[in-house]
Formats: sequence, structure tokens, C-alpha cells
Amino acid sequence: MLAGFWQLLFWLDIWPEYVLPSPVSVGKTLAHGVRDQSLLIGVAISMKRIAIGYGISLGVGVFAGLLIGRFRIFEDTLGSLISGLQTLPTICWLPLSLLWFGLNDKAIIFLVFMGAVLSIATGTDSGVKNVPPLYIRAAKTMGAKRWKLYLEVIIPAALPHIIIGMKQGWSFAWRSLMAGELLIVCLGLGHLLMLGRELNDMSQVIAVMLIIILIGILVDRLFFFQSRKTYPRTLGPG
Amino acid sequence: MSEGVGVDNLIELDYVKVDDGQRRSTAHSAKLDLRVQHVSKSFQSKNGTVYVLEDINLEISQGEFVCLVGPSGCGKSTLMNIVAGLEQADSGDVWANGRRIQGAGPDRVVIFQEAALFPWLNVIKNVEFGLKLKGISGRERRTIALEYLKMVHLTKFQNSHIHELSGGMKQRVAIARALAMNPEMLLMDEPFSALDAQTRWILHYELQNIWMKTKKTILFVTHNIREAVCLADRVFILSTSPGKIKKEFFIDLPRPRDDNDVNVAEYSTRIMKELKTEIDKVVKCEMDADSCVECDIKCTTVEAAKTDIGGGI
Ligand SMILES: Nc1ncnc2c1ncn2[C@@H]1O[C@H](COP(=O)(O)OP(=O)(O)OP(=O)(O)O)[C@@H](O)[C@H]1O
Ligand SMILES: [Mg+2]
Repeated sequence: MLAGFWQLLFWLDIWPEYVLPSPVSVGKTLAHGVRDQSLLIGVAISMKRIAIGYGISLGVGVFAGLLIGRFRIFEDTLGSLISGLQTLPTICWLPLSLLWFGLNDKAIIFLVFMGAVLSIATGTDSGVKNVPPLYIRAAKTMGAKRWKLYLEVIIPAALPHIIIGMKQGWSFAWRSLMAGELLIVCLGLGHLLMLGRELNDMSQVIAVMLIIILIGILVDRLFFFQSRKTYPRTLGPG
Repeated sequence: MSEGVGVDNLIELDYVKVDDGQRRSTAHSAKLDLRVQHVSKSFQSKNGTVYVLEDINLEISQGEFVCLVGPSGCGKSTLMNIVAGLEQADSGDVWANGRRIQGAGPDRVVIFQEAALFPWLNVIKNVEFGLKLKGISGRERRTIALEYLKMVHLTKFQNSHIHELSGGMKQRVAIARALAMNPEMLLMDEPFSALDAQTRWILHYELQNIWMKTKKTILFVTHNIREAVCLADRVFILSTSPGKIKKEFFIDLPRPRDDNDVNVAEYSTRIMKELKTEIDKVVKCEMDADSCVECDIKCTTVEAAKTDIGGGI
């Protein structure tokens, strides 16, 4: 439907080709990009970066969130630090990242990490604070102690909030990845986008944008929709 | 002390008059399972220190079914939590099975007023929870869990989600979950008070059967005298502020007992009469409370309790 409308706009010939390319030429660019693998390589590189950055931020974020949620000292220190940092747009970390890591992959991965970690930490924190104390008491009388209490009770009970944080973290991470790749020239989807601009190749720009949207939707559906479905919640303590 | 069966044998001990030695001799030759010695507990609140429990002494032998009855706020849950190891007493000791308790442990499983089942696990996984913590292998876990689900007649619901169960079913799953751990004793804190009379009646019956089958030591908290008489071998009455053990009654009736059994009813009535003074004290105390709205609410509930024998105190 959308593609048909797009084609119609193109036929109406309001804008010149280099402003609005036809769906057909975008399709051709896509096919070409897949054939000579430039697009695929771009996707692969971007996905690798976000996987590493997001993976690290998931571990660090959940751990930090648990500390903040369970211990007063961390709440007063780490907790307030995080809520302060959250007001800072992720891309503002770029100069610092460049100084620390130089013009390379690590700088971008750090950006991705910073994009996701705060949301995941705050999500985990609120999840932990919302665990009904009754669950913890019940688990304790059944012999749950220390890390087992976290693993078997606190994390599963906090999971809905953690997932909300992860979802938000993902979208921030994805955005900061693209921003980083646009600004630091070293491969990836963002770089392809920039290349399209430099070559004045509008159909490449749109093709890459389509792929970025597609990946965003796919990840959202695949991971987060499913996790929501397989985890039914009751209201209040069971 | 128990020459026959019936109301005439209502044995009561007035704790004020009975000294330590005598108390021990009246009781049980069986092995002691739980010993609460001189336990006191207070809480700090905005208006100063609240003394909740004062010098509580209890001795419960293995396989005994004991009920604690007392008005709301007298510290029953607090005492239960101390025995469970979830809270610490200011002074005094709790011994379970010959060892001084230190923190919560799987030998004393608590069943709470709300079932406290984990909504992210289905029914059978909930029952397996404690076994998993104990490190029992998957297949064995399943077998044990099924056995206890069968005991509470819920095998059909083993794969259901928790939110699909009724209140009574949840409480039965909680009982199965506790029993599956094969604990030394079960601590039950008003487990049936949120249920309707019909369901409670069924569960009283089931719990007695389970108790007769498993011979677990059970410490059961309730504010309903009828429930206590229906279930227990011994009933302890707590007085309020500070919570003290006021009286002890031996219930000597054949099992399984029925809530509506004449003997149960008559026992309850007699205990109620004995407690009349305590009730009057509570009413008077609450009449003196300065908050009017709160006072009204409390008075009406106490009135209701007086007309209904099976109600609270
Ligand atoms: N954590 C706490 N901090 C301060 N006061 C507390 C705390 N826990 C309990 N109390 C007080 O201790 C008293 C006894 O509470 P507890 O819950 O043991 O009563 P209860 O006998 O179980 O009452 P109910 O029948 O309503 O469950 C109450 O007056 C309550 O206000
Ligand atoms: Mg209570």
C-alpha cells in the first residue's frame, strides 16, 4: 500500500529524482547492495557493534540496577549519578569516547553501551523495588539465600520492569549506534548512509534507511514481543 | 488428663497461676520440636516503642498441631516470624529440633495469608521451587511435586498459571509447596482467613487429613476460635498489648473434626466465655482510643465478633 502511494507520488513528478527516487530504483539499489554484499557487510558490522555494546550494557545495567534497588548506599550514590546522567543525550558522550578509545570500533561500542546501560539500570532498579516483600520472605523460608535469592526470585519477579528498561535501552542504543556511525567514518550502516549522501545517491540513502527501520521493527517484534507473550502477569501477589 | 472424649474434658491452664515445672509435667513425653523461651519483641515507631511480645514461652512436641489465637495486632504474626527466623527477637531464644535457630531455613516453612506463589512459574514449578533450591534433580523433583499435588487434589492443574487458580486452590498449592520440602514443621499464619466459609471448611478437612498422614508439627495462627478448636490439639490464647500467652486449652476430640460439629461448637463457646474478660478489656481499651473513626470501626468489629461465636475475639 505504502509502496504504491510512493510510486504514485513519483509518477506525479512533483520532486526531481534526486529528491525522491522511485521505489523501483530503491529496490534495484537494495538488490545490488545485497549482491555485491556491501549492504550485508554494513548490516553485519552494525549488528556486531550493537550486539557487543548492548550485551555489555545488559550485564552491567542489570547488575547496577540490582545494587541500586537492594542497597541504600548504592541508591544514594550510583542511583543519583545515573538519574543525573540520564538527562545527557547519548551522543554527547562521543567526544569523550573518541578521546578514550580513538577513532575506532571501541568508541562506537562505548556509545552504544552508554545509550542502553542507564535505561536498563533504572528499569532493573524499579523492578527490584516493586518485588513484593512477601515473595522474598516466602523464598527465604524455603531456603533461598544470597545469589540464589536473586537468581530465582528477585530477577524473575522484576523481569517485566527489566524488559521495559531493555526495550528502551535498545532503542537508545540503536540510535546512538547510527549517530556514531554517521559521525565516525568506519563502515557500518550509518556509514553507508553517509556514503549515499556524499555520492548524491538518494536511492541508496533511502534503501539504507529502510533497512534500519526494518531491523528496528524486527528486533522489537522478535525479542520483546515474544518475551511479553511468554510471561503472563497477574495483578498483585499470587 | 484425658479420661474420655467430650466437652467435659476441656482442660485449661491459666498461665498466670501455673509455674514452670508444673507446665512441663502436664505436657508431652514426646520429643520436643519447638521451644520458645522468654521471647520479647518491641518495635520502634513514631510514637515511641511498641512492646509487641513479652516473655513468650512455648513448647511444642513433634507431630503436634498447635493453634495460636489472639485479637488483631496482638503480635501473632510477629511471633510466627520470629519462629520462622524472618525476624529477630529482642531477647529470648527459639530452639527448633534441638538447635538454636539462626535465620530462616527450609526446616520451618511458612504458609502466609496470601499464598505467595510465584506468578512467573506454573503450578508444578512452584511446588518444585524449594526442591530446586535443595539441589534435587529435575526428574526426582517432578515426582515429589506430583505426589504432593496429588495430596491436595490438584494434579489436573499442574500446568496451569497461578492467576488461573482460585484463592482456595492457591492456598492448596502453597501447602503442597511447603510439604514438598519435607520440613520439620509448618508455620501457618492465618492461611485460610481470606477464603469463604465453604472453601475454608473443605481446607480444614484436608489439612487435618494431611496432618494425620504426614504427622508434621504445625503451628497455626488464627483469630478465629472455632477454626482453632477444629484443627488443634492445643490452643494458646494470646492477650494483647503486650502480647502474652494468657491461657492454654487442650482440645481432645476425635478427628477429622468438622467446623459445625456440636462438640467443636461447644468447646468454642466455653473458650469464648473464658475469654470474655479479655474481650471486655480489648473493647474498653479501644473505646479509650482517641481517634473516633478508628474507634467506631474497631468497636463494630468487636461487636460482630461477640454475636458470632466463630468470629474473632
Ligand atoms: N515492622 C514493624 N514496625 C513497627 N510496628 C510493627 C511492625 N510489625 C508489627 N508491628 C506492630 O506490632 C503489632 C503486632 O503485629 P502483628 O502483625 O504481629 O499482629 P497480628 O497479631 O498478626 O495481627 P493480625 O491478626 O491483624 O494479623 C501491631 O501493633 C503492629 O502495629
Ligand atoms: Mg497477622
